[in-house]
Amino acid sequence: MTTVAPGRSGGVAKATPKLRRRSPRLRKAFPYLLLTPAMLYLLAITLYPGLFAIYQSLFVVKFLSWTWTGTGNYSAILQDREFWAALGNTAIIGAISLSLQTAIALTIAYFAYRDPFIRGWRIVYLMPMLFMPSAVAFIWKLAFNDGRVISDILMTLGVVERNVDWLGNIWLARMTLIVADVWQWTPFLFIIFVAGLQSQDQEIEEAARLDGASWPAIFWNISLPMMRPIIVVAVTLRGIDITTMFTNVYVMTQGTPGGATETMSYFIYRQGFRMFNFGYASAASVLMLILTVVIAQTVVKRAFHSGKS
Amino acid sequence: MAKPIRRRGESMILRYLVLGTWALVCLLPILWFLSIGFRPRTEVITPQPIYWPTFSLDAWRLLMSDWPIALYLRNSVIAVAGSVVIDLVLAIPAAYALSRYDFKGREDIGFYILSTRMMAPAIVAVPIFFLFKTLGLLDSVWALMLIYAAINLSLVTWIIRSYMLDIPKELEDAARTDGAGDLRILWEIIIPACLPGIITAAVIAAIFAINEFLFTLLIASTSRAYTMSVALANFTGGSDGIIYNAIALVSFIAFVPILILVILIQKHLSRGLTMGAVKG
Repeated sequence: MTTVAPGRSGGVAKATPKLRRRSPRLRKAFPYLLLTPAMLYLLAITLYPGLFAIYQSLFVVKFLSWTWTGTGNYSAILQDREFWAALGNTAIIGAISLSLQTAIALTIAYFAYRDPFIRGWRIVYLMPMLFMPSAVAFIWKLAFNDGRVISDILMTLGVVERNVDWLGNIWLARMTLIVADVWQWTPFLFIIFVAGLQSQDQEIEEAARLDGASWPAIFWNISLPMMRPIIVVAVTLRGIDITTMFTNVYVMTQGTPGGATETMSYFIYRQGFRMFNFGYASAASVLMLILTVVIAQTVVKRAFHSGKS
Repeated sequence: MAKPIRRRGESMILRYLVLGTWALVCLLPILWFLSIGFRPRTEVITPQPIYWPTFSLDAWRLLMSDWPIALYLRNSVIAVAGSVVIDLVLAIPAAYALSRYDFKGREDIGFYILSTRMMAPAIVAVPIFFLFKTLGLLDSVWALMLIYAAINLSLVTWIIRSYMLDIPKELEDAARTDGAGDLRILWEIIIPACLPGIITAAVIAAIFAINEFLFTLLIASTSRAYTMSVALANFTGGSDGIIYNAIALVSFIAFVPILILVILIQKHLSRGLTMGAVKG
């Protein structure tokens, strides 16, 4: 992408007396000055909390008393089965949910992107995403647990014989979280996939079609590979958000049964704000932060570089 | 825009079966939830689910009388609108620097800004909680405003940056030849030229701010600073249990303006959601 280097693009600078009046040092500092306010703000909410969390993680914090423990919290956490369970749950729930969303979004995008009624479909498919996540969590809590609507429908269809206790089984409880996430966030991927498909060079598809290729073959062999960078960016962004899943857990399952639906975010929240183990919660935060930085530096950086069109 | 064409070798029945099914999957829960919002509380949780309830404005009356909904709405609007203003003021100069200048560390700074979007709210929740406690900002709309602005700053910067990259250099050069300074160019040429991007960024930031849940939950611990989102979560009513019909109604009250905003920026939505990486 072209970028402008004022002062250095000779012909332009020569013609502007005003530019020469400014000192070269100011010219050089100018972009940094423009960035300073935003950077200070972001450092305040990332660097400061990061350092604070590292510091606090070295203490046992009970209400107002802080007792030095060094790496005590970390060694405890690495042996804490609940911590590893939360990490595993986040990975399992996230992976299943993300795969389902990607598959569904690709399928409906494939059928919709050249449909005459695409504008209508798009608005309908978009709607779930526009409800507040906390409200969506309540929709599903009512549908699954409190209102027993899903059970009732399944009974009518003859799939099950009596009321399903969705929180009574590890996989059923996880499934309720996955259903809620898929319902709300498949639109995110759909919107991006459709935009990607529509912005493609149609002549290639047309040429393949004239050569007698079938539509599924064209989609699979031409459209999909061309869309790869877009898919990577969209799935990466969605993947990041899934790993931070909190609201649905908080409203729908609270981690039950037996911690099978406790995600990393909920683990930190529970340790900090339910059990008031702030030092312990901070240690977990630091570990999650390290994980985030690693993922950001590898997956995300690459996704966004390949995604730049 | 792709021209709608008929695809040979693909059954129209299959296409509309798939599209129709997913449309139902999207709409049925929404319709059912809407029906919850307009039924009496006695018909919400019943041994046998009721699909055709009696129409009732119970929830509406409850919101109006027992609930300072005007206060919550006002809190939401102040916190969300304020955060968007903060974001734009900080992000526009930053995006300008990232898109129109060549300087050392540009890529790294840009990526650092992007990466703050990836941080789980839970990671910074404990420190931020202590910070606001020290500053005496707990339970205030201002704290929410600052947090929402922080959450969305990376997104807003990257969206605007993407639109600024699209502005042809010639436009800027012409102004420069006329003797305009950098800031004047930003104000008079760049900002008007990327206005769609700025509006898109503002709308998406507003939606994410309205949706934010964890911080709002931690910071707004009394109803003084409740926004719609947390008030909704706290409408679990204590001894009354969860008041679903009121929750349903509130969620629709919030849904309508968001839907309108999104329809207005529809063309830019995919680009905004990918922080500018995908140009739809």
